[in-house]
Amino acid sequence: MSFLAMAWRYLRFRWLVSLLTVAGIALGVALVCAVLALRHESERALSRDAGLYDLVAGGKGSPLQLVLSSVYHLDSPTGNLPYSVYERMKRDSRILWAAPIGLGDNYSGYRIVGTESHFFDLPDRNGEPFFRFADGQEFKDRFEVVLGSQVASSSGLGVGDSFFGTHGLVEVPGAEVHRDFPYRVSGILAPTGTAQDRAIFGTLASVWEIHETEDRLHASIQGSALLEGRKEREATAILIRLKTPGLRLWMADEVRKETDGIAAVPINEILRFQRGIIGPVQRALLFVAAAVVAVSCLTVLVTLYQAAERRRRDIAILRSLGALRGEVASLVFAEGLLLTGGGILLGLLIGHGGLALSAGPFRDATGLVLDPWRMPSAELVALGIMGLCGSLSSFFPSISCYRRTPIDDLHLTD
Amino acid sequence: MEQQPDCSFFVRTFIAKKPNSHFLMIRLNKVSLRLGKEGGTSSVQFDLPSFEVVAGEAVALTGPSGCGKSTLLNLVAGLRRTDIGEVTVAGVDLATLRPAQLDKHRGAHCGMVFQTFHLLAPFTAIENVSIGLRFGSRKRSNVFKQATEVLHRVGLGDRLHSRPDQLSVGERQRVAIARAIAGGASILLADEPTGSLDPDTGKEIFELLCKVAEEDGRTLLMVTHDLSLASKLPRSFDCSGLVQSGMKATAPGGPPK
Repeated sequence: MSFLAMAWRYLRFRWLVSLLTVAGIALGVALVCAVLALRHESERALSRDAGLYDLVAGGKGSPLQLVLSSVYHLDSPTGNLPYSVYERMKRDSRILWAAPIGLGDNYSGYRIVGTESHFFDLPDRNGEPFFRFADGQEFKDRFEVVLGSQVASSSGLGVGDSFFGTHGLVEVPGAEVHRDFPYRVSGILAPTGTAQDRAIFGTLASVWEIHETEDRLHASIQGSALLEGRKEREATAILIRLKTPGLRLWMADEVRKETDGIAAVPINEILRFQRGIIGPVQRALLFVAAAVVAVSCLTVLVTLYQAAERRRRDIAILRSLGALRGEVASLVFAEGLLLTGGGILLGLLIGHGGLALSAGPFRDATGLVLDPWRMPSAELVALGIMGLCGSLSSFFPSISCYRRTPIDDLHLTD
Repeated sequence: MEQQPDCSFFVRTFIAKKPNSHFLMIRLNKVSLRLGKEGGTSSVQFDLPSFEVVAGEAVALTGPSGCGKSTLLNLVAGLRRTDIGEVTVAGVDLATLRPAQLDKHRGAHCGMVFQTFHLLAPFTAIENVSIGLRFGSRKRSNVFKQATEVLHRVGLGDRLHSRPDQLSVGERQRVAIARAIAGGASILLADEPTGSLDPDTGKEIFELLCKVAEEDGRTLLMVTHDLSLASKLPRSFDCSGLVQSGMKATAPGGPPK
């Protein structure tokens, strides 16, 4: 019977204490893992989306709001820009790719994004097409739409199916349904792992048409494509890829000077958002998790000390049988390692399992696609530190056993 | 349960037999040690001028409680060290051994049986015996096979997988005896092995101890309060007077025999 097998039997013998100790460690580890993995994955997902575009131009307002509304399909748009701004950009030799978007309606909470067919020509950073069609093709007519992969999977719509858009950017009970303007699905995009998966892409012309017809009703809704009393067509935002990304700030400044709107660099806004808003929350969560882990390690220490105290007689018996001091110390240490190792493994499972379970709702709520089983390097470091703390917590009781002389404990009764 | 072997025969032959050699298995010479905290109210002095046991001999250690019987046993086992004097076991002066060597020496030469059995509660009978073969110098292969054989020998062939709380007190002591002899120890140190047992069970255990010691030629040192059992062993050593309270005795006298 090996040390580990003996240690396991002792842990099983006092299973409730062992279970509670492992659960305490697991809780701390799960929290740490979940927070670190969530931070890493959300940063990765946010950066992935933000990296699609060098610049976003839109109506005056908060640059972050502009980025969230046009890139992540979250939040309300800041306002509109004249379509002529986009037409001018199209002719700018410094711009590799630009597409206008118009917002105003949704279907089952998924935003209907009016744009132009070359939107799907957006190259990724390697020059390959970013969008691929899982089924069908890009829209050709005004009321044809292309579904993001998540929209298709959750709505059950397929190529050739029709649906009606609902007024507004979010699903609200009782909102007006545009029953005069049925959309027809022309294609479904392959998953991209970005917020684009939960958008519906149609023609900007169709957005204009719906809202020009009903502009009196909708003029107050920010993001409608035609404001009351104005005949010039507008876009909610213009998504831009530059030939030279280094020109981003310079171009943003140019947009601010030459138009009534603003331009934001998505990656800069997102980094600021992460550091300014998400960062402190994550740090607070990490602090709580670290405190839980510290308490768990103390629990291991106390549990093993108590176990060693309760087992003074057993340890003395083993010594009387000829067990070396190092051997009985190893036995107690093995118990600690089993408790710590079990807690860490269980915590990993709970932490990442919890992320896996929440990845779907998280994606639905934010559009960010998480890989729940990916372990960032910070998590590996944290696990290493927790393992070390657990080992240290096991080490001290084992040293206590090492130093103990068996003779005083042999006469303890059962 | 297997039928308990009748050990009376072995006790009789044990008594009839002389020790099988004149090799001094245990020798304590002018041993002195203080027990308890120095200067404390419970501090006592243990003094033993001379005590010798030849290989294969069976000796009962008798005397009133607190007279030093268990201390003598622990000195032989190397669980206590002397302040002064020499303890030689199996030809080795224990004072020359480092702690780890002492543990190994104990594992190799001494099998201990206690009044309260001292079995490990989470483990079955066979595991309790095999654990004894796992540590220190006793590391063996096929420990479960050896443990099974030894448990059969002490009449517990059908209780191999019972935990201590599933065994009767007599059976527990049999497991403890099996554990003590499993490693091939040449010395059996039994500290009141019948003290927690009813008279009949106590007699059975006594006879079993005598039997295994006799059959294997092991040296047996048995602490007992039961003078009738002590009288069945070839030699009895009265430990009265080994321990004195207060200051060290200036000229320790020989213990009465």
